[in-house]
Amino acid sequence: MSEEELRIGVYVCHCGGNISDYVDVKKVVEAIKGEPGVVVAKDVMFACSDSSQNEIINDVKEHNLNRVVVASCSPKLHELTFRETVKRAGLNPYLYYHANIREHVSWAHTDTREGATEKAIRHVRAAIAYVRNAKPLEPIRQKTMHAVLVIGGGIAGLRAALDLSRTGLNVYLVERSPFLGGRTPQLYRVYPDGRRGADIVKDLVSELIRRDNVAIYTNAEIKSFSGYIGNFEVEVEIKPRYIKVPYDEIKEKIKELPDEIPDEFNYGLTKRKVIYYPYEGAFPRIPVLDLDHCSDVETIKELLGDAVDLEQKPETVKLKVGAVIVATGFDPYEPKEGEFGYGRQGVVTLPQLHRLMDLGNGELKLNGREIRDVAFVYCVGSRQKKSSEEEEVNEYCSRYCCNAAMYISSLLMEQGIRTYHIFRDIRTYGRHERMYDEVSRKGGIFIKYNEDEPPEIEEEGDKLLLKVKDLLTAGEQLEIPVDLVVLVTGMVPRKTPELDELLRISRGRDRFYVEVHPKLRPVETAIGGIFIAGACQAPRDICETLSSASAAASKAATVTLRDVIELEPFKAEVDPNICDLSKKCIEICPYEAIEIKNYEGIGEKAWVNKAKCMGCGACVAVCPTEAIQLNGLTNEQIRAMIEAAGKEVII
Amino acid sequence: MSVKSWYERKYYGEIEDLPEEEYDVLVIGGGIAGIQAALDLGDMGFKVVLVEKEPSIGGFMYKLSKTFPTMDCASCIATPRMAQVFHHPMIDLLIYSEVEEIEKKGEGDFRVKVLEKPRFVDSSRCTGCGQCELACPVIVPHEYDWGLAGRKAVYIPFDTAVPRIAVVDLDHCIYCGQCERACPTEPPSIDFTQVPKIHHLKVGAIIIATGFHLFDARLKENYHFGEYPNVIHAMHMDRLLAPTRPYHAILRPSDGKEPNNIAYILCVGSRDKTVNNPNCSQICCMYSIKQAQLIMGALPLADVTIYYIDIRAFGKAFEEFYQQAKDMGIMLVKGRVAKIEQKENGDLIVWYEDIENGGKLCKAEHDLVVLSVGLLPNKEIANVFKGQKLEVDDVGWIKPVDENANPVETSIRGVFAAGTALGPKDIPDSVIEGGAAAMQCAAYLSEVRGRH
Ligand SMILES: Cc1cc2nc3c(=O)[nH]c(=O)nc-3n(C[C@H](O)[C@H](O)[C@H](O)COP(=O)(O)OP(=O)(O)OC[C@H]3O[C@@H](n4cnc5c(N)ncnc54)[C@H](O)[C@@H]3O)c2cc1C
Ligand SMILES: Cc1cc2nc3c(=O)[nH]c(=O)nc-3n(C[C@H](O)[C@H](O)[C@H](O)COP(=O)(O)OP(=O)(O)OC[C@H]3O[C@@H](n4cnc5c(N)ncnc54)[C@H](O)[C@@H]3O)c2cc1C
Ligand code: SF4
Ligand code: SF4
Repeated sequence: MSEEELRIGVYVCHCGGNISDYVDVKKVVEAIKGEPGVVVAKDVMFACSDSSQNEIINDVKEHNLNRVVVASCSPKLHELTFRETVKRAGLNPYLYYHANIREHVSWAHTDTREGATEKAIRHVRAAIAYVRNAKPLEPIRQKTMHAVLVIGGGIAGLRAALDLSRTGLNVYLVERSPFLGGRTPQLYRVYPDGRRGADIVKDLVSELIRRDNVAIYTNAEIKSFSGYIGNFEVEVEIKPRYIKVPYDEIKEKIKELPDEIPDEFNYGLTKRKVIYYPYEGAFPRIPVLDLDHCSDVETIKELLGDAVDLEQKPETVKLKVGAVIVATGFDPYEPKEGEFGYGRQGVVTLPQLHRLMDLGNGELKLNGREIRDVAFVYCVGSRQKKSSEEEEVNEYCSRYCCNAAMYISSLLMEQGIRTYHIFRDIRTYGRHERMYDEVSRKGGIFIKYNEDEPPEIEEEGDKLLLKVKDLLTAGEQLEIPVDLVVLVTGMVPRKTPELDELLRISRGRDRFYVEVHPKLRPVETAIGGIFIAGACQAPRDICETLSSASAAASKAATVTLRDVIELEPFKAEVDPNICDLSKKCIEICPYEAIEIKNYEGIGEKAWVNKAKCMGCGACVAVCPTEAIQLNGLTNEQIRAMIEAAGKEVII
Repeated sequence: MSVKSWYERKYYGEIEDLPEEEYDVLVIGGGIAGIQAALDLGDMGFKVVLVEKEPSIGGFMYKLSKTFPTMDCASCIATPRMAQVFHHPMIDLLIYSEVEEIEKKGEGDFRVKVLEKPRFVDSSRCTGCGQCELACPVIVPHEYDWGLAGRKAVYIPFDTAVPRIAVVDLDHCIYCGQCERACPTEPPSIDFTQVPKIHHLKVGAIIIATGFHLFDARLKENYHFGEYPNVIHAMHMDRLLAPTRPYHAILRPSDGKEPNNIAYILCVGSRDKTVNNPNCSQICCMYSIKQAQLIMGALPLADVTIYYIDIRAFGKAFEEFYQQAKDMGIMLVKGRVAKIEQKENGDLIVWYEDIENGGKLCKAEHDLVVLSVGLLPNKEIANVFKGQKLEVDDVGWIKPVDENANPVETSIRGVFAAGTALGPKDIPDSVIEGGAAAMQCAAYLSEVRGRH
């Protein structure tokens, strides 16, 4: 297209002051008005508002614009918004460029209005140079797989799998441990309704296993992962259980085995056998043989006969899915030896308290001894302060723990147990305040500690002595003898480095998975088609976990219920007329997207498989003849942008 | 205005009855939760109708300044979503409309009557130029600015409204006809002959996302809200801090002075049985800390003191945000405020129980007091169901049938709820529930229609 035909519209956004407080928006408009091809140049209060979008559309029609530039916030937020606008105006959406003068200019240079304005002008000029060299592009249309992979079989994964399956989509649920349910079955009783954690899981599982479009793999892990939104290819490795029959059939025989190994389900409070079935009702019903801990295989063979099969080998299944939901959950914070007295007899964590109560059928006993008073120490492993920059601490609040501790306290108090609450803030938000209220009413004693002077726990006879300075009584030093100290431990994200690497999804400063935008796209990751749900994203209780799982399922459904998905056209392309077949691109491409193809009338040259190309541009950099270029960001465009940005600015 | 009073006003003449229209899903409430639900369903391929009772969609969010904990400006996030839902090919909007009646005929079959109130402006012609606004001689407090600024009897709801067209507020109109004469469209878009319309909808499933309303601070008499001009509430402050703020400055009401010693009183109307709301409102600690941070930016010399009971910074990145506020020098006092007194110059004396100092009664002077008011349910929607009972809890929030299985499902099968209609919550959680409710609708519809 020749220079005369270009008709560019440029819109510079105030962002209601976010930009115009530091950038003289009017001056930017003045400065670029005379740029060749610019027909319309305006400032707008909120470019993204419907009225401004309509203004752009009207201008395109009225002034026959064929290129549009909006200079506003980060393209991460609104590039898509304006591509849509331009499309509605009847233009090809890729004849548009989004200049970021907020994150890159106004917010970065709050100290110099003049400097910020100058930089904004350079950005907008570069944007104009881009669109001047832009060509219409078409999104790449790909068929989508009507199937979803859910990673993690806690309540988040179970809920998401069930939701998707109900819409008719195929679902593959992959759980790393041998049994479904995650952490929830370990909970004795949960707020707000007092159900047993195991029952919540049982209900979801029984609904799920009735469905014929759900495949459940337990004891399984993701081994390889490739592809893109709509078309992921996954390999799942299923480890052998070595046991072939349901628990009930060999229950009595298993009982004959000795208790050998600390039971992780009970956080080490009890021991378990090498053949393992964690709790009544666990799914699948088939136990596992823990071969790693098994010292005497022969006895097991003798005892179980055909029920055991040591020849079982890991199996690999290959799946094709359109979307992925990651629901890998959390681990309870494990206090360090000595932290708030951890390690002493009578000091347990909240997760352990749940197990103790479950094992005692609701009655609380420790080593057979009756418990009369319990002190809860809150915020253990949460809201930690950094003592140095490098130190890895949990600065966040774990959200569920005040509520959970309060609920369990009220159960204990019903049994006549006295409870003390050594807290920093009681965060029983929302209606959970009622639980706090109830515990106060029943006579729970509340003591506020300062994080710089944490309570100390010592042994005194067969009791524990908790020493704490109480802020609620103007710093009075209290000494409270109790039978049990419960450390109200927070959540930490479950460590899954291999999975993170395979999926290439990232974690935030708090080491939980990070969403693209907490308000606009709260369950999406930066990788299209991969969504996050439940406690792997942030500490959450069951109710909140279920909502986030359904929300992630909803997003996965928007991808997989469709037949076709549109992908960005920013892919490499070879001009066979220039290519001299150096093959450098083929060597460097990390995605094996480039092949040699016979072009009619030209012969063998490099060729890009657009479905595989990720648009990284590695090939462009090494091509000696510039035969390979990235659509939407050609060398020509980059050079023009650099040149435009470098031009002198006179304000 | 209540729906009923629209009927009672005879001068509208006939009500126009429209033929039945069919949709997969009805979403009630065009706040961020309802918008998210509609968008997800639309993207899945369901046909959606979204009903909003105000003249623009957007709910509370578009009125806010910046939003905790990431401090992105509310308009920047809300407005494009509003535009997206407006232009979505699978979504129709019924704006300035209210659901009158819902009858469930069977699974996947709800019959709904929606009353569309007359705007007295022809939406097909109005360009939103605002000439009518300039011409109108009547000035009344503007809801958008929570009464801090005025609007005319004919007005465009706000700059980024969707749709951005005028509406005539008949309660204040004096029928002078100035707007009609000023309107540049041919013929004028102002149309006083418009009548209410009844839409008859047949829908497969319903999402309630009708949001919340603020606690009426006048009910806490010892704080003298509505009486002492310099006692304002948090929504006023959010408007004063917004990019689209009315005065472009933070000014206290009594004398237009820039305040330099501001107090926040938390839990006003929450955690308080004397006003029948024992619940914590879940967001007020955080919005107060947010506003305090913004005030520190806007008025660098001002002192901000927050009187709290517990600081509930529980969500993702909240605690870090709270610690940041402390580092900025915002003062936090654990104390219940007993009463406020006004001095002659409009300054205020705050009497509080200093909990960390043995519960002593102390006093402090401030020149502006912001009440961090709590959230209460919009109860009307429970009354529109004919022959079915929508369960609500003792405060009036919609109650899920089984929170620990499906937290967005209501007592009526096929009716789901999202966002603050289910209880106080912040924007991220509201958006998540919008998505969750969309998912449940899709699953429900697929099942009752036998797709699976
Ligand atoms: C002591 C305690 C008390 C609680 N009390 C309550 C309460 O009263 N009420 C309430 O609402 N909530 C309560 N909670 C919170 C509740 O436990 C969580 O909200 C819930 O378990 C989160 O579920 P999830 O599915 O996200 O994670 P998880 O339960 O952790 O499940 C994650 C699953 O993913 C699997 N997984 C991990 N990595 C991989 C991988 N790489 N590949 C495959 N699978 C993988 C795990 O094995 C696990 O099965 C409590 C929590 C604790 C610790
Ligand atoms: C002062 C203040 C500051 C805040 N700051 C923040 C913040 O910084 N960050 C954050 O995350 N959150 C913040 N919030 C919370 C945030 O406003 C809410 O989380 C959010 O608005 C909830 O959205 P919603 O869609 O559930 O409800 P709403 O925004 O209330 O939307 C409900 C919609 O439904 C409509 N409606 C009601 N009844 C009917 C009916 N019968 N028929 C049809 N339509 C109806 C309403 O008109 C409205 O448009 C703040 C809240 C307040 C009060
Ligand atoms: S929820 Fe309560 S116990 Fe848990 S980290 Fe937060 S404040 Fe501490
Ligand atoms: S969120 Fe904070 S201010 Fe609001 S009611 Fe709860 S504790 Fe009080």
